[in-house]
Order: sequence, then structure tokens, then C-alpha cells
Amino acid sequence: MKTDILKDLKKNPFEFILLFLILLTGALFFLYFSFNSHYQRRVIYATGAAYCFWSLIHHYRRGDLQLSIVVEYILIALFATILLTGTLF
Amino acid sequence: MKQKLSLLFIPQEKNNYKSLLTHPSFLGIFIAVYLLNQSLIRSFTILKPGVLGYSSEITVQKVIKLTNQERQKNGLPQLVYNQDLASSATNKAKDMFAYNYWAHNSPSGKTPWDFFKEIGYDYSTAGENLAKDFYDTDSMVKAWMKSPTHRDNILHAKYKEIGIGVVNGTLNGVKTTLVVQHFGLPLNLASVSNQQNPPNDLNSESPVLTETQQILSQENSAPLISPLQISKTLGIIMFTILILAMLTDGYITMKNKTKRLAGSATGHISFLAIILMLLLFSQQGSIF
Repeated sequence: MKTDILKDLKKNPFEFILLFLILLTGALFFLYFSFNSHYQRRVIYATGAAYCFWSLIHHYRRGDLQLSIVVEYILIALFATILLTGTLF
Repeated sequence: MKQKLSLLFIPQEKNNYKSLLTHPSFLGIFIAVYLLNQSLIRSFTILKPGVLGYSSEITVQKVIKLTNQERQKNGLPQLVYNQDLASSATNKAKDMFAYNYWAHNSPSGKTPWDFFKEIGYDYSTAGENLAKDFYDTDSMVKAWMKSPTHRDNILHAKYKEIGIGVVNGTLNGVKTTLVVQHFGLPLNLASVSNQQNPPNDLNSESPVLTETQQILSQENSAPLISPLQISKTLGIIMFTILILAMLTDGYITMKNKTKRLAGSATGHISFLAIILMLLLFSQQGSIF
């Protein structure tokens, strides 16, 4: 349960590769749909949801999946999606 | 003061070994502050309409010039300026301001084709592109070209004529410029050859305003405060504070080898950094 950035990356490389792929795909689709607010909004929601889903897999595999952790991820995803959609659309 | 700041950023016993800014309660406060800012902007646009807005240097001539350049690049003939289509496009833009909507169909059910009919333009094929909040013509035409449906309109082989409406006004309390592009293939093809002259020399870069622009641009003469810039600046500040807090928190936790139950700092920082990048590189303007 140690929060150690480097250790986290070394211990679970595939999980973090998956996370980076999710984020990169989200960013590329967002840029691809530039100025198309309908699609961009969907891309932001999908990326936020995928991030939360990734956290479930990541913490389940680490054996520390707790409600407080799930709430933390949901709040961070909400914070990011509200700020981005609220600002742009 | 120093101690309060250290509680916000540095994990220690007093904050349960987690910097306060990364606590769920503080994330909730961040969201609440941002929503309050959005509500204030919204209320301000209702109480003082026209103070916030987007400035623009879009001209009818440049929209036609860039549209025809895109057609030429794709081996298509240039579109000819048509005054009737310009009137229908301008009427459409005015209608959106008058009835406060941003769509192809008005809330009362009026379609783009009704505007063509109203000015007596008989067509066999017609199309409409809309844009708002853009500062310059280049980025607006690029945005249309990036969207498959708008691109199809610009590069439609059947269209022969074009009309542009560039109208300044206040939409939802925010000053902006609406651009309407109307395309058409007239039923009477012979009429295409009897063209009226375009509004100005298409090679001219100097902005020549249509009558509507001339009247309404006076409203837009003062420098405008963009609501996008206000929200964007606040968003960037919040993201930066949160990322800095997470980096500090992650570094100190790693250094002190603290064991605790928390989300992955790597995951949080990566996610927030990507969203911050999207926010930083986002541009004003939207198409429909």
C-alpha cells in the first residue's frame, strides 16, 4: 500500500502502459474532434470513465481496493471533466 | 500561515500523511469554487449582457476566398458569390441572435431551407455551415475542413453559388460573431452566369463590412473579456495547484517511505497532466 511513484511504475508496468494508452487515445480523439463540441464532450466523459475503470483494476490487483480510494478517483475524474467541459462548452 | 500552507502541500501527521489539497474534501471545494465561478459568469451575462464576449476579425471576403482555395486544392470549380444567398445567410445569423439559439433548426422549427425560400432562392441542392466565437477566418475554415460534414459542404461538387453572413451580436448574454455559410445549386442554372458582383475584391485583405456588420460592429468596438479566458485561467491555476500538491505529496511519501491507503499518485498526475494539456491547447470557436 505504499504510494511510491517509481515503485508503482516498476511493479505494474503493464497497468501503467494501459493507463497511458487510455489517456493518449483520449487526447488524440479530443484533438481529432477539435471544434466539434458534441464529440469532444463524449471523448472527455469516456476518458474520465475509463480512468475510473482503470483504477478499479489497478487497486483490485494491488489488493487495496477500498471505497475511499474509489471515491478519490471519482472526484478527480469529476474535477477534470467538469473543468474541461465547463470551460470549453 | 506557514504551517497552514505546509498542511496543504506536505503530508504529515496532522493531515493524516496526505497533503490536504489532495483530500477528497478539498477536491470537492475545488469543484464547488469552479462551479461558483461558472454561475457568476452566467449570472453576469444575464445581468450585464454584452460585457463578456469574443472579438473577431472575420470578413465575408476572406471566408469566400479561403473556401474557394480549399475547393481549388481539391480540383473543384470556385463558388460564385450570390447576393440572395448572402441575404439568407445574414437573415439566419440575425434569427439566431433574435431567438437566442445556436443550431441549424430554430426553436420554432424553422429549418435552413426556410431561409433560402424566404428570399426566393430556388435550389435543387443546398447546404449550411455555422460557426461562432472564432477570432480569425483561417482557424474557422480549418475547423470546418476538419469536420467531415462541414468539409462535405465546402467540397460539394454540385454547389455553384455561395453566400456568407457575418453578424455581430449578443447570444446568451455573450457578445460574439456568428458566421453562416449558405451553399446552393440554383434550379435555373442560367442565372449563375448573370452574377452580381461579390461584396469586394476577393484578393483584398482589408475587412469590408456588410451593412449588418457595420451597424453591429460598433457594439464590438470595445475590447471584450472572453468568458473562455476567465474559466481557462481559473482552470489552469487549479490544475497546476493540484498537480504540484500531488507531486510534493508523492515525493515526500516516497522519501519518508510512508505506508498509507491512497490512490496512485502516478495515475492521478498523468490524468490531470493530460487534461491540463488539453485545456492549455484548446482554442476558442465552435462549429455546427
